[in-house]
Amino acid sequence: MATTESITATVNGRVETFDVSGLESLMDVLRDTLHLSGTKEGCREGECGACTVLLDGKPINSCAYIARAAAGREIETIEGLQDALSLRIKQAIVEASGIQCGYCTPGIVVMLSAFLRRIEAPDEALIREALSGNICRCTGYSQIVDAVLRVVHEGAPAA
Amino acid sequence: MSHIGIPAIRSDAWSKVNGETVYTYDYKEAGMLYGVLLRSPHAAGKLLGCDLSKTRTMPGVRAAIAAADVPAVLAGWSMRDTPLFARDRVRYIGEPIAAVAADSLAEARAAVAAIGLEIEPHPPVLDLEAAILPGAPLVHPEWKDYVPAAGSDFLRNGNVAAECSADPGGIDAIFEAAALVVEDVFTTQRQYQAYLDPKSAVAIYRGGRYTIHTGHQFSFNVRDRVAQFLNIAPTDVRVIGHPIGGGFGGKLDYSVEPHAAALSKAAGGRPVKISNTRVEDLTTANCREGTIVKIRSALDADGNILARDVDAYMDNGAYTGEMSYMASFPFHCGAINYRVGKFRAMGRLAYTNTPPTGAMRGVSGPAMYAAPENHMDHITLELGADRREYRLKHLFGNGDTLPNGQVLDNAEILKQGFDAIEKIVPWQGTAKSRTPYKGRGLGAAIWLVNPLPGSLSMKLEEDGTVSVVTAATDNGSGALAAGIPQIIAETLGVRPEQVRISDPDTDTAAWDGGSQGGRTTQTVGLAAIQGVTEMRGKILETAAQMLQMEAGGLSIVDGQICVAGESKGRMTPAEVAVAATFGGAPIQGSGGASLPAVPFNPGCANGLLFPFFTSPTYHVHYAEVEVNPVSGNVDVTRYVVAQDVGRVINRACVMGQIQGAVAQSIGYALYESMRFAEDGKIIEDNLQFYRLPLAVDIPKVEYIAMENDNTEGPFGSKGSGEAPVLLPPAVIAAAVADAIGKPIRKIPVTPEDVLEALAGDE
Repeated sequence: MATTESITATVNGRVETFDVSGLESLMDVLRDTLHLSGTKEGCREGECGACTVLLDGKPINSCAYIARAAAGREIETIEGLQDALSLRIKQAIVEASGIQCGYCTPGIVVMLSAFLRRIEAPDEALIREALSGNICRCTGYSQIVDAVLRVVHEGAPAA
Repeated sequence: MSHIGIPAIRSDAWSKVNGETVYTYDYKEAGMLYGVLLRSPHAAGKLLGCDLSKTRTMPGVRAAIAAADVPAVLAGWSMRDTPLFARDRVRYIGEPIAAVAADSLAEARAAVAAIGLEIEPHPPVLDLEAAILPGAPLVHPEWKDYVPAAGSDFLRNGNVAAECSADPGGIDAIFEAAALVVEDVFTTQRQYQAYLDPKSAVAIYRGGRYTIHTGHQFSFNVRDRVAQFLNIAPTDVRVIGHPIGGGFGGKLDYSVEPHAAALSKAAGGRPVKISNTRVEDLTTANCREGTIVKIRSALDADGNILARDVDAYMDNGAYTGEMSYMASFPFHCGAINYRVGKFRAMGRLAYTNTPPTGAMRGVSGPAMYAAPENHMDHITLELGADRREYRLKHLFGNGDTLPNGQVLDNAEILKQGFDAIEKIVPWQGTAKSRTPYKGRGLGAAIWLVNPLPGSLSMKLEEDGTVSVVTAATDNGSGALAAGIPQIIAETLGVRPEQVRISDPDTDTAAWDGGSQGGRTTQTVGLAAIQGVTEMRGKILETAAQMLQMEAGGLSIVDGQICVAGESKGRMTPAEVAVAATFGGAPIQGSGGASLPAVPFNPGCANGLLFPFFTSPTYHVHYAEVEVNPVSGNVDVTRYVVAQDVGRVINRACVMGQIQGAVAQSIGYALYESMRFAEDGKIIEDNLQFYRLPLAVDIPKVEYIAMENDNTEGPFGSKGSGEAPVLLPPAVIAAAVADAIGKPIRKIPVTPEDVLEALAGDE
């Protein structure tokens, strides 16, 4: 059996100590141990982006990240993204109808939060490039791109 | 204020954007076990042994079952040809042979790996044309014993799982005498629905019946399938629907539900969850079928088509599911849009040793339009005619008929579509005068709205909320999250936010035909208007008693009960609901509807299981592409859709359906390759190799809504979510051919295909 060890990390601003075993993925720990099921499992291959979370502010595919490597680091999931920029992104996606089945949506919101924290005024080409690690099978992306452009044109809210 | 035609925000938007929505993949029950299937590693072979004795003693294992542990019956949507677990032979790679439930997923997987499996492999039947030749090895040697799930048997023979044909006679003579004969063979591969939420179910055997939790498009269908496999009454199964993380037709039939149910019973009633891995999901999905379409036209000296002959092969895979209905589509689509004279058609569905195919959005339509539309381009090339002008010259108008004899009363909408596109992007002849490696494609389609019945019931709560119970499902389209609430709000005189629709439950809701064929907003919308009408009558009667006046003088306007001639309302529906609930009888309403059958000629074809096009819709698409002659990559630079949508209920949702469907179909046209190796294994078996369209690949679709009142839909609406998937393969293949000046006769048009075509001498 795989060995289990206890690690400590900051999850959504709160210091959490939890058990991880062997090569268990960060996605499994978030979903099964910490009950944060907003991080979605889509492929377990690092292809679809539904499991995107922020690790020290950078978006990663949590399915392809070994949980124990997150020890001592800061993790943000969709449940924790309540800052003004993230809320603005969510609002814009809702208003632009950038949601259909919704399974990819949390991963996209997480990725966009990191993206727009880093780049304030991206153009459409850059937005599309940023979205290309997240597969959406429903929308054909346009209404999501529209949502991001809406956030960009209105200017980011004060943090 | 009207709630129709506006981009109302869907009721599930905030829950989804916040990550709060619980899909089946996220769903858990107390004491839940994890189930894993043992799937066949061989495409064909004799099953010699499946020894579970070691498995049953392994750590954490609570149940292990195979064919001997379940009823010896066959099940299936249209033809009962499918065992729950392979019995004496395996028929495709991925076919379930056994299942294990254990305390943890890791234990279940280890136990499955320990099953003593013995298979004598046979060469698989893979080639569609070879499969139906006399003397080909039979995928089902016992095919004669099979019985349909309902109704009378249909045309089938050996590896031909279903056949639909029409021959008016005299076709060969017309071809012999023709001034010009144009012939093409067009092939298409399978397409994986690729919903982001892989198939998953939690089943519980308790109190002598089964409860199934699953995010399913068609609750009553999966209920019936589980009942067939377990040989029990349909009402011994209760299906509780959960939010669907995408379906696109892939979640209309059973997947892991009956296996989870059988495991739960074997494990003493513990809840059992089976979740496909992505590879399992992709390699066993009921994909859109691959096809070969042979199409010929006989022309006179003036370029008129005198006769058309279509011979189509469609891949059924190892088991039939609902595919028998699809054998009708080569007939329907072979002589559609344009007048093509006398028409002979043959559609044959071939059993092969591959995963069973099934419905994907638009079913067989993308292939059945890609072939004739590219064939039309070929004809114009032979004639030296303009592709657009030639189409317009032969285009259907009002009163033209489909091959089944169905008269189209409003086919002139096709012309509206060509005109509307011309206005925003004027057609520019052939490629010769334009930039090299840039091409254009133009095509049309006529489609249907699925006619199956739908229903709902509703009640008015004491706070004014309208609570709706229905087995209809929202697969992401917004039909229930936006469309139906808007229809109810508009009809009742309240706001859409006051309408709440519960998840489906086959124990409490009446029958509904599932989210398919663009039917939900249209059909359930009709049912909703009936329900509201009943409820409004009761509200006004109660209000009339309270106000001591005649109900006829009352109406509901903007959430107020108003007396005729007064500007201010007297009371709210909520106040009426309180009075009725505690002083009379709670206020309820219900409705049920289906789309009317269409007159057609029953003698038009043999084996026509799918007889006519209900509520026909009309579509014209235009694509521009740019081809990189060095890499072979194709870039879709512009895409325009003119779609007949009746009257729009929710503009944002309709746009989302069109943009999303076109994106899926651009994927099918260019990237989504699914090939089989000689051993029957899928080559592109994960999302790294099965390439889905990304944000950088898909242009913003320009959409022209052709709004025409539809008498068969609520507020004049028509189903709109399915049909925009039909034409992108047709017009993109045509645009690539136009760009490179070489014929393209297959999809997907991969970079390899482009380079090969460029190197070819045709």
